[in-house]
Amino acid sequence: MSDTALRLTNVRKAFSGAPVLHGLNLDLKKGEVLGLMGENGAGKSTLMNIVGGVLRMDDGTMELFDEPYAPRSASNATAKGIAFIHQELNLFTNLTVAENLFIDGFPTNRFGAIDRKEITRIAQQSIDRFSLPVTPDTRVEDLSTGVRQMVEISKALMKHARIMIFDEPTTSLSSREKSALFETIGELKQQGISMIYISHIIEDVLQLCDRITVLRDGQIAGTSPASELSENELIKRMVGRELTQIYPTIEKTISDTVLLEATHLQWQQKVKDVSLKLRAGEIVGLYGLMGAGRTELANLLFGVEQRDAGELAMNGCVMSHVSPSACISQNAAFITEDRRSEGLLMSKPVDDNLSLVKMADLTNRLGVVNVAERASNNRDAIKDLQIKVADPEKQLVSSLSGGNQQKVVFGKWVMKDPKIFILDEPTRGVDVGAKFEIYSIILNLAKRGSAVLFISSELQELMGTCDRILVMKEGSITGDVSKTEFDQERILEMALPGFTLT
Amino acid sequence: MSWLASYGIYVVLVLLVVVFSMGNSRFLTLDNLLLILQQASPLGIAVVGMVFVLLVAGIDISVGASMFFVSTLAGFLLNSSGLLPASWLTDFRGPLLVLVMVLLLGALIGWINGMLVTRFRILPFIVTLATASILKGLGLTLSGSASIGVPALGGLANGRLGAIPNVLLLFALVLIASDYVLRHTVYGRHVMAIGNSARNAERAGIKVNRNTVIAYVICGALGTFAGILSAGQIGSVSAGFGEGNEFIVISAAVLGGTSLFGGKGSILPGAVIGIILVTTIMNGLAMMNASPFIYTIVKGLIIFFAIALDSMGHKGELR
Repeated sequence: MSDTALRLTNVRKAFSGAPVLHGLNLDLKKGEVLGLMGENGAGKSTLMNIVGGVLRMDDGTMELFDEPYAPRSASNATAKGIAFIHQELNLFTNLTVAENLFIDGFPTNRFGAIDRKEITRIAQQSIDRFSLPVTPDTRVEDLSTGVRQMVEISKALMKHARIMIFDEPTTSLSSREKSALFETIGELKQQGISMIYISHIIEDVLQLCDRITVLRDGQIAGTSPASELSENELIKRMVGRELTQIYPTIEKTISDTVLLEATHLQWQQKVKDVSLKLRAGEIVGLYGLMGAGRTELANLLFGVEQRDAGELAMNGCVMSHVSPSACISQNAAFITEDRRSEGLLMSKPVDDNLSLVKMADLTNRLGVVNVAERASNNRDAIKDLQIKVADPEKQLVSSLSGGNQQKVVFGKWVMKDPKIFILDEPTRGVDVGAKFEIYSIILNLAKRGSAVLFISSELQELMGTCDRILVMKEGSITGDVSKTEFDQERILEMALPGFTLT
Repeated sequence: MSWLASYGIYVVLVLLVVVFSMGNSRFLTLDNLLLILQQASPLGIAVVGMVFVLLVAGIDISVGASMFFVSTLAGFLLNSSGLLPASWLTDFRGPLLVLVMVLLLGALIGWINGMLVTRFRILPFIVTLATASILKGLGLTLSGSASIGVPALGGLANGRLGAIPNVLLLFALVLIASDYVLRHTVYGRHVMAIGNSARNAERAGIKVNRNTVIAYVICGALGTFAGILSAGQIGSVSAGFGEGNEFIVISAAVLGGTSLFGGKGSILPGAVIGIILVTTIMNGLAMMNASPFIYTIVKGLIIFFAIALDSMGHKGELR
């Protein structure tokens, strides 16, 4: 018997041809806490989904306690002793703590009734073990997130979990709940349980973990004992890469006209006192980690959510009520993060999708669409944006590649010739070649005098295309970096929670 | 606010009783209260079945039509079909055989509904709308839209054990048994879990499809049982029998606190208080000599208010 709990050898995974994991090797020792860090899109969740049986790897081997391990499903992985503690928990809120602990294996008596005494007794043991402020009969909906998480951990222990994977477990915890969780993790370690701890919060990872593995672009950028690492070293490992992507160069000028101005925007706890200005011809990047509030900010700017406080002006006029239709009439466009469910009608042909926004302008007084004009408009867009589609009248958007789908989304808006563009992760799930074309489209929009807010979690692409990058952290803008001062490490430092600039 | 959500229905019930007893002095008499319970019992049994389906975030609107179909079939068998020996028609054997058949048939209807919902992934509303239409058509074909007398079922539906009406006893039995199933068996807890999050239930290894089908089977069987009892109370099955009952049943369940979004609701006291409230309204309207055409409007208003309350109290997404 070796002291390795889980060993991954040469694990590869690609999504529709685009490699996400390039042959990873990873060791998790028995009774150790291994930190896993990396930027968004580095491959952490893909890797963990493979370990958890949700995804199948294309190539490579896994060994669990020296035995070959190839989970067929999530429940298969659970049965082998791997437990996930997610941000969103898998508890049934309408059932009690005890019922949740036993949901997949109630003890019953002769009459098929649940043995309440037994489940209450065992649940009480779990509760005592972690000194939780609950009774076995408390309904989960009445518990705070931190306590729910403890219940989930108890459940994993009852199923004899030998490896626990924590995925950003502290996002919605209070600081007291957080220290309780860390204490628990310490106890679990004493009992010989191995843990993988995924988090963006460097401070926590350094404090909690024995070793830290940094993942970068689907490869291991390094694994070292936590005692040998510093915050700066970790950041270097997370970003330290060459600028590989080539970006289009298009000459453009930025005018002084401010097209969009937000002052002191406030929304729930997600957006805190945000002010920003977009000028005609300017591309402004908005960088931040998952949960920094980027998408929430975009939703506020476009009136998808109503701001709690602050002002918003488009084209110099103050908007009293911001709604998507008010923004569209101010010539603004919003390309959402989730094009599959929000940006496109997947089961409709390309033509129908392209003319969605423009439709109102193509109709006569009786509401009848001018089909000829629509067709010629669409042909122009397909040519301009180089959308690869054989028969735009018949071919469904769902049959296009990710990149071409995204171009259809652009085409839909570009036809209307908007002056303000808000783009949320426009290159997500797009292959490298199509990315270049999308960057060109964005630059050309700015050249024609539009103002662009480009939201992305890929710092590189922002550095390659933007005139300025705003950095967001925990709902606030923490940095405004102009092109001449772009520096990966500095920007990432601004974005990392729990990291104070020195 | 949460107090109002839990106890509001009792307040409404008391208010209604006060209003109706001021409108008609005979409303608040022991006889009439017993009559309300007697009227509430058959449909109350159907409400219990509906609660199971609603708990798994489904809905069954074929209940009214399946009541019509099985009651017509029962009338056909018990009268002129000649399929049963003549001596059986006069003693208990005929009605008993018919009752067993009806329960099995109801279970089969529920099974078909459940299979269509789970295996073919059709929206429950559409599935049961379609089965309702089919069952209604089958029943009309059988009866030729003529009214069929079912005196043979009268003994079961109108009889009393001592002072207590049979239907009330049957209702009580169904209530106790199904409340036990829901609260104390693995199946019951799994139903709650599925309604709370089908995705999590699947992950926890709960057989979501199988349990959902069983909920529809329970609903189908109890629905047809309710239909037979109701037909027996009336004494005949006309072409309009059962029509709109699905809405009474659903609104009673929802008024009793069962959510259309699944995972929330109860049989005791939910289903009971819900059906008593609805029956009280109908009974009170009759006592106050309201026009018969008002009833349909009132039924519509009840379901509207019940569901509006449920939706407003729902915190999650409406998708």
